[in-house]
Amino acid sequence: MRELAGRLTAVDPDAGAAVQVISYFDRLTESRAGLESLVRGAAVLAGCPARLVDTGRGVRVRVGPDGVRVDDGPPADAGWPAAVLEPGGGPALWLERTASGPSVVDAVILERAAAAIRLVLDRTRGRAPLSPADDPALLETLLDATVPEPTRAHAARRLRAAPGTLVRALASADGRPRVLLGHPDAPPPETALPPGRLGVGPAVAVLDLPRSWADARTALRFTADGTAQDPGPRVVHAEELGGVALLAGLVAPGERPPPDVRALEAAATAAPWLMATLHAVVSTTSQRAAAAAVNVHHSTLQDRLTHAEQLLGWPLRTPEGRLRLHLALTMRHLARP
Amino acid sequence: MPLVPPPFDPELAAALELIKDTVSPGLTLDEIDAFRESTGVDTMAQLDLTADGHFDVEDRTVPGAAGDPEISLLICRPKAPRTPGPLPVVYHVHGGGMIIGNNRVGMSGPLEWAKELDAVVVSVEYRLAPEHPHPAPIEDVYAGLLWTAGHAEEIGADADRVLIVGGSAGGGLCASLALLARDRGGPRLLGQVLLCPMLDDRNDTPSARQMAGLGVWDRTANETGWTALLGDRRGGPDVSPYAAAARAEDLSGLPPAFLDVGSAETFRDEVVAYASRIWQAGGVAELHVWPGGFHGFDGFAPQAAVSRASRAAQTEWVRRVLGQG
Repeated sequence: MRELAGRLTAVDPDAGAAVQVISYFDRLTESRAGLESLVRGAAVLAGCPARLVDTGRGVRVRVGPDGVRVDDGPPADAGWPAAVLEPGGGPALWLERTASGPSVVDAVILERAAAAIRLVLDRTRGRAPLSPADDPALLETLLDATVPEPTRAHAARRLRAAPGTLVRALASADGRPRVLLGHPDAPPPETALPPGRLGVGPAVAVLDLPRSWADARTALRFTADGTAQDPGPRVVHAEELGGVALLAGLVAPGERPPPDVRALEAAATAAPWLMATLHAVVSTTSQRAAAAAVNVHHSTLQDRLTHAEQLLGWPLRTPEGRLRLHLALTMRHLARP
Repeated sequence: MPLVPPPFDPELAAALELIKDTVSPGLTLDEIDAFRESTGVDTMAQLDLTADGHFDVEDRTVPGAAGDPEISLLICRPKAPRTPGPLPVVYHVHGGGMIIGNNRVGMSGPLEWAKELDAVVVSVEYRLAPEHPHPAPIEDVYAGLLWTAGHAEEIGADADRVLIVGGSAGGGLCASLALLARDRGGPRLLGQVLLCPMLDDRNDTPSARQMAGLGVWDRTANETGWTALLGDRRGGPDVSPYAAAARAEDLSGLPPAFLDVGSAETFRDEVVAYASRIWQAGGVAELHVWPGGFHGFDGFAPQAAVSRASRAAQTEWVRRVLGQG
């Protein structure tokens, strides 16, 4: 006794259809069917693709009339019959057909499907966050290498990030993780970045975010406030560190710094200009440029360097001395608690 | 202790809502005529057998068993086969509780496989009970298989690569056909695909009792079908395994079997038991029990997720058996 009643393809467009549509979705709701089953129900009963898009909750489900889920589709058409999920909200559920006129059955399908979908969303996802970026738990999940990959893939879908999308993790001093979309080929411009000290991870596929996040946090340790007492780059790109990144593994944050860093700190208490001046020396290409960077005359810079050499105990105007100074200044950032 | 039925899969439960007016779980002997005249069979016969022109379709009348009337075979051959040489054959036996249906019913699955795997489909029209009780149906089915194997070359097919498939009563007849072919030294079969097969006239398993009054083919309907086929002998001591394959004492030496069934249907326990007995006899079987499936769910609600999974499992098995895996 198989396949005798004919297939469930489309409901008769006559009087009984609305009743059947209602009982169909009632049964799905009773048995706590999921979003895809509900969207599939709308598609199969209507005989055309149906799509559910809830940007706030990061939901996108599109199913064809044959029941097969195909999330990609043409841009939404203003002529498609649609239903809203929230009072005052925009359309969120569509039947992808341009109707010749208003159809009672379409209206019933949309109304019952939307009601059932609303229940599932409230049950499984809670109130919609304002934007995916406001859902820190999802980001934490994406960045955590110890979370199983299927779970991270799920979080990525909820953030509407396709698996192949290239993204960068951003680590900032406030500890709040961020993910930057776009700019995969070159370091992102300053305008694309939030304020404050920032480590920028390499561009990676969404599921490789834990690696970008680890690199971003390392890069963050090389940053500085950019003040006179804490001169240095506010934004550091992990890709530009090269072998210097290895230093991060040698200096533990918050622990007793290496001797050259302690010497720098001691010298800085004796000479308030010291940190800014020495940073200028290692971050410019000539002593003349360094003098300009700290707004002193060239001869004043020479006097300061002589003084600093006495305080630190090593030469600053030889290539070796300059490298030692550069390393000391860098390690000073790394030793930050 | 009250019998608690397992719940239907959510999407299947909703689909049942749509077909409950057309299909009721129970069916009695005096309702058979009305049932035959209902729209269901016609709906299924509307299937495009050419699959958009992929197949040449022919109805061929061939001899029945000695002394029996001729039978009709529906033959669907790929117009432009992709593979050179003779093609494998999917020999199909339709369902319908032994009492209804024709050789167009249930063809969508076999035609899908044949299109994908480049095979010829032959679907046999057998005489129906109660007008034609056992052994008329199985003898017709066997005669059709003999003709198919004997005339394979004529239809561009390979007699050594014949796969038999049937759903429900057709599944039961296929199981019996495999036993008969073994016992009579008939054509060697590549495999048997038994889709929620109707195997056991005793009709007294826990699932048969548990699902009474539910789904689309319950214990009452099943009793009707078996009584139509066997009359008073139904459930008695001397029922032939060629009528009800579950009655076979020896399940060794059978071709590899694919069996599937829903967890929420009358046939669940007899299908699981049949698969277990094939393994116990040292045979090869693959068994799928689809959770929340009612009888024939993948035909009634092909769009449901569980239906698509079950269809995919069938296709993959056939692909492997045909060596195209």
